Amino acid sequence: MSTITLHDTHNNGHHDDHDHGHHEQSFITKYVFSQDHKMIAKQFLITGIVMAVIAMGLSILFRIQLAWPDKSFPILETFLGKWAEGGRIKPDFYLALVTIHGTIMVFFVLTAGLSGTFSNLLIPLQLGVRDMASPFMNMLSYWFFFTACIIMMSSFFIQTGPASAGWTIYPPLSALPKAIPGSGLGMTLWLASMVLFVVSQLMGGINYVSTVLNMRTKGMDLWKMPLTIWAFFLTAILGVLSFPVLVAGVVLLIFDRSFGTSFYLSDIVMGSQVLPNEGGSPILWEHLFWFLGHPEVYIVIMPALGISSEVISVNSRKPIFGYHAMVYSLIGITVLSFIVWGHHMFVTGMNPLLGGVFMITTLIIAVPSAVKTFNYLATLWRGNIRFTPAMLCAIGMVSFFISGGLTGIFLGNASLDINLHDTYFVVAHFHLVMGSAAIFGMLAGVYHWYPKMFGTMMNAKLGYLHFWVTFICAYLVFFPLHFLGLDGVPRRYYAFTEFEFMQKWVTVNIFVTWSAIVAALAQVAFLFNFFYSIFFGKKATQNPWESNTLEWTTPVEHIHGNWPGEIPTVHRWPYDYSKPGAEQDFIPQTVPYSETMLSNMPHDFEGNAESERIQREWDAKNAPEKADVHFH
Amino acid sequence: MEQELPPSLKAKKFILWLFVVSSTIMFGGFTSFYIVFAASKGKGHGLVLPDVFMYSTAVLVLSSICLFFAAKAVRNQNVQTQKIFLSATLVLGLVFAWLQIDAWSALYQTGATLVNNNAAISLIYIVSGMHLLHIVAGLCFIAISLFGAFSNVPAQKAVYRIEIASIFWHFIDILWIYLYVFLLLNS
Repeated sequence: MSTITLHDTHNNGHHDDHDHGHHEQSFITKYVFSQDHKMIAKQFLITGIVMAVIAMGLSILFRIQLAWPDKSFPILETFLGKWAEGGRIKPDFYLALVTIHGTIMVFFVLTAGLSGTFSNLLIPLQLGVRDMASPFMNMLSYWFFFTACIIMMSSFFIQTGPASAGWTIYPPLSALPKAIPGSGLGMTLWLASMVLFVVSQLMGGINYVSTVLNMRTKGMDLWKMPLTIWAFFLTAILGVLSFPVLVAGVVLLIFDRSFGTSFYLSDIVMGSQVLPNEGGSPILWEHLFWFLGHPEVYIVIMPALGISSEVISVNSRKPIFGYHAMVYSLIGITVLSFIVWGHHMFVTGMNPLLGGVFMITTLIIAVPSAVKTFNYLATLWRGNIRFTPAMLCAIGMVSFFISGGLTGIFLGNASLDINLHDTYFVVAHFHLVMGSAAIFGMLAGVYHWYPKMFGTMMNAKLGYLHFWVTFICAYLVFFPLHFLGLDGVPRRYYAFTEFEFMQKWVTVNIFVTWSAIVAALAQVAFLFNFFYSIFFGKKATQNPWESNTLEWTTPVEHIHGNWPGEIPTVHRWPYDYSKPGAEQDFIPQTVPYSETMLSNMPHDFEGNAESERIQREWDAKNAPEKADVHFH
Repeated sequence: MEQELPPSLKAKKFILWLFVVSSTIMFGGFTSFYIVFAASKGKGHGLVLPDVFMYSTAVLVLSSICLFFAAKAVRNQNVQTQKIFLSATLVLGLVFAWLQIDAWSALYQTGATLVNNNAAISLIYIVSGMHLLHIVAGLCFIAISLFGAFSNVPAQKAVYRIEIASIFWHFIDILWIYLYVFLLLNS
């Protein structure tokens, strides 16, 4: 904190000083240890993309194993050495693959990559702030995240391989270093990496919350904030309230692993050896883990929901349907997400009455989720839709949110869950509702704010190609998995098609794997588009999507401090699209009502009698037909 | 007298409050573990806590009182008093840390070791240890404030530093009282 106090020169809130232009910056302070939120956002995004590509690669590896469990692929041995001896992935390594795939996707891509990128980019830009509350902490947040990534990946380069207890690392498997190879050094690295990751998320999240609450520009009251900001704000609150519990759980797990305590361990026999640990319970880990773990899935999806709200409204050229309902449903999701964690534990011997309580709270979450879904559809309804790649991804997000969300209602039932628990039905459910939906929300964000980040446009045609192939393939991959799950196929099995009653699924597995490979290839279109356009993309105009929010009032060329002169004042909410009587189909937030007399509506003045009177007089004089409609 | 902090410092102070919240939740996680564990096993740590904990608690409360007077001195721009009370806080904080370690050795000698088949006993070490980490951080804040008093930093900065130190130190004071009372009540 001492260092932070020395770093308050960049943003001391004097909105009127004009010397916020370029500070002379070296390569190191500009691109590496940058304290500029826009650069940090890009660092998060590119690191997130790299991690996503790695995690996708891992998934292709284990999909190959699932589709062709008997076949040998010598090329795998070339790359993976003894982990794929004879060209076949080993069972231990298969478990490591699913574990690290899950960990990277959930935490590194969809938590840090998504929130880290867009909260950093948009909170200051859309709220009219020079930079975060603590730019220094913001920088640390990225570098802790980066170190966590390096440590997580380093576990691929050790003798015993990466952690393999699943991304939820349930003890005792994770707590006994000798249990499987992956529980050794790999698990230690996993825990070290996650501790750094949590530190990064807390520093980031605390910063976002403080910035949103303390530093908004003049006129930007909470109810004039874009829904993106509401989503990031509530996501950050979720993180600040839930990640510490994971720390508590991880600390106890570390002590069980390294010091011989018995927090989670009891009555264990390994081989012929009886372990001395007594009295602990792995169920306690599940409680601590899922108290974070469930809010975590909303940490993943809420930014995607926020981004989609903005993108859909801009590209439908319509105000978002039910702005207040959207905010209240986000708040509802935030609150409810803390009292549903038990639905991950229905089959742990939970008291059925308690299971019933968790079932009810879980099913209630369907209400705000459905409100959001219907509001998206109502926003699209009869809109003047522009099918930009970002818009397609946002609509794709809504599609996955619906199709994945519906199966959540099945899984949330304590009794149905007895059948479905730990089957591919669960895999299908969360890959659609949180995996694909959040990824598409993130892609929508990338396509939409790319001009803001890099000053150039991405190629739309490649964007369409990328969207359609990914969208179709994602359904082809995950939809069939529901049926495996209904048939009782358990997840995380190395070669389940070797069992006679599951043998029939091998053809489906082959189909799913081919779809996954095609989906992975489609990402090449995105990656090429992304990196090529940074350098050779068409130069962006200041407001390419004709959008209302503040970030499009900043110059295309980035400056530290965002606005060259005074920070703009906000006069209206962010969704004045296609307002009757307006000259254009959008009115930026910075335009005062006095400049748009013809399109003003009575409710715009929020009960300010004086403004209403002025408007009424103006209408009577200049637009009598309007006065008739609105003021009688 | 009262110095108003500029918005950017206010936002940073708010950051500390948020940290306080998340730290509270972490300890909430530990004590929830304890409650669920004790309820399912029908037993708590079952110990008579060493008296040293009582003394350390008194020392910590005393240090908080000293810090309160130090903060008052800063607002009155009384550098001399500020130095005395801040040094007292610092010393009492160190004494507290030493007493905690002493309490561990007292626990250890009675056989209530960290590696234990009663997780409730292990948890005494964990919560007091994690709390001790907070004490270390708090001592850093106080040291920075004290350093500022000796190097005559501008008044506004001095106020900011002592406010940061106060929020954090009083927080860990209350946190320890909570943990101690919790352990006393749930034996």
